[in-house]
Amino acid sequence: MTAAERERVDPAATEPVDGEPNPDDDEGTTGDGSTAADDRSSREADRDDARPTERRALRAFDTGRWVGVTGVALVLVGLGVALRQPGMVVVGAAAVGYGLYARLGEAGEAELALDREVSDRTPDPGDEVTVTVRARNVGDAPCLDLRLVDGVPPGLEVIDGPARVATALRPGASVTFSYVVRASRGDHEWGTTRAVVRNAAGSRERLTELEAPTRLTCTPELAAGADLPLRGLTTVSHGRVPTDVGGSGVEFHATREYRRGDPLKRIDWNRRARTGELATLELREERAATVVLLVDAREPAYVAARPDADTAVEASVEAAGAVFTALLAGGDRVGIATMGPRDCWLPPGAGTDHEVRGRETLATDPALAPTPAEDRFYRTLWRRRFRRRLPGDAQVLFFTPLADDVPVDTARRLDAYGHLVTVLSPDPTASPSGSPTPGRTLAAIERRERLRTLRSAGIRVVEWGDRSFPAAVASASGRWSR
Amino acid sequence: MVSLVAAAVATLAALVADPTGGAVVGVSVVAFAGGALLGSARVLSWGAAAGVAGIALAAGFGGGAEPLLVAGVALAVAWDAADHGLSLGRQVGRAARTRRNVAVHAGTSLLAGTLSAGVVYGTYVAAAGGQPIAALALLCFGGVVLASAFR
Repeated sequence: MTAAERERVDPAATEPVDGEPNPDDDEGTTGDGSTAADDRSSREADRDDARPTERRALRAFDTGRWVGVTGVALVLVGLGVALRQPGMVVVGAAAVGYGLYARLGEAGEAELALDREVSDRTPDPGDEVTVTVRARNVGDAPCLDLRLVDGVPPGLEVIDGPARVATALRPGASVTFSYVVRASRGDHEWGTTRAVVRNAAGSRERLTELEAPTRLTCTPELAAGADLPLRGLTTVSHGRVPTDVGGSGVEFHATREYRRGDPLKRIDWNRRARTGELATLELREERAATVVLLVDAREPAYVAARPDADTAVEASVEAAGAVFTALLAGGDRVGIATMGPRDCWLPPGAGTDHEVRGRETLATDPALAPTPAEDRFYRTLWRRRFRRRLPGDAQVLFFTPLADDVPVDTARRLDAYGHLVTVLSPDPTASPSGSPTPGRTLAAIERRERLRTLRSAGIRVVEWGDRSFPAAVASASGRWSR
Repeated sequence: MVSLVAAAVATLAALVADPTGGAVVGVSVVAFAGGALLGSARVLSWGAAAGVAGIALAAGFGGGAEPLLVAGVALAVAWDAADHGLSLGRQVGRAARTRRNVAVHAGTSLLAGTLSAGVVYGTYVAAAGGQPIAALALLCFGGVVLASAFR
């Protein structure tokens, strides 16, 4: 939280609204037409500083309401004169009044002091967070017709009550409304709140964009690790990845001719007894690996099996978290990178600090936001940068839903450059119950073809759909040869 | 809701003025209800047109000025409230809290109509006692001047 935000939050924190699920009751009980509640809250609010929220007003425009009412009036008056009917003239003359009313006043800027309170700034994923917004008219003119639409972050889902309100505010009066969002992983920032003001007749309208930043950070606990067998590319340090290098270890690797100085306990005594020759047992050396977890976060990767389901990026990040903890616990050096328009690079490292950094990155990095970034993704530039950063002895665990051909190409290239690649693919085409649509079937076939291409290039692939990620890893790694 | 009440008032007043015109204004009630349910401003406009035609018809058959004025103002408020409701529905949705906004809007609309009708009716009563033609001409002239002044 920045100092500016704290300043924004603190004066309002003394109000008794926090923790109350429905703070708009105080207005509801007196009825919306009454102003008793508003008077009280405005007196309270007078103690706050009356600076309006930073705003940007667009030009007012005609809404086209009441167009033609003067014409209708004149026609009625004229007809009435022609037909000598006083009633018609009177009605027509009264309609002229509405013509005047429509030209009365202009839609002003919404000079509002906006306060947004969040019941929990650091919720866990899935928690329900109550957001209370209070808008006070700090301008001199009354807002006779004010519509407020709060800028809820795109990654948060509003589950109770709309984040919108329509009201009328005298100068100094305020309106409070609240809604509930379900927290999801990520760093969410409220965008512009849009205030639409109309004049009394509704013939002029003006949009004002208000900036009242509020931040909500939701960092999930990383799931306990899924023990993923790595491929044979390792560093020189000791670790837990069995290699094809003979030396000291626990698993048999090969025998070779005895050389002077070999340790006595590694001599193959059975062979000595059988043939009389001395031979030395070679055991597999176990070494640590450098692993980079690469998450596909391009726009095509934001796919889900159902409209309301988590996207493949979400599944990838969750799995990457599990692998991250498991690998760190195994003594490997782990880094994080994304393949997407925004840059994200956590160099491989180890230790508790690094674990915290990795957790932060996976939870809140804008490159892994729950909704796709709008920037363009330049494949060649990204590849060049990624290869420059990637340590020479690093293997890559590539999390991608394989929704198009770019990840296939990338995985094969990386593999060809000598960074052994394992592709871990959440399956967004896994059919829920019921008959699959033709589109889904086609997508599934295309994806299967991509998997086949990868496997035929010698790249390991784990895919998981409905099953949990550790179960999928366990059943897939049973098939793999080292 | 406000719109339907106002439209019903308009129909009643027009029925008092003249049964045929009242029936046509009744059509506008149906149109307002349909337009509000369908969310179509076009249907509302047709409803308003039907209402104006009904009032003109009632006036043409010699309806009294008082019920016609009430019908006219009520029709304007009905259309205004219905159209306002549509724009609210588009901008803040059905579920949002809007009562205060709607009440203020309908209130100002009714106030404007009542003021306008009051001024017109006052002039009518004051001026139309002896010489109706002169009063009509005066009203007509005043209306044109006012309307063109704000054009």
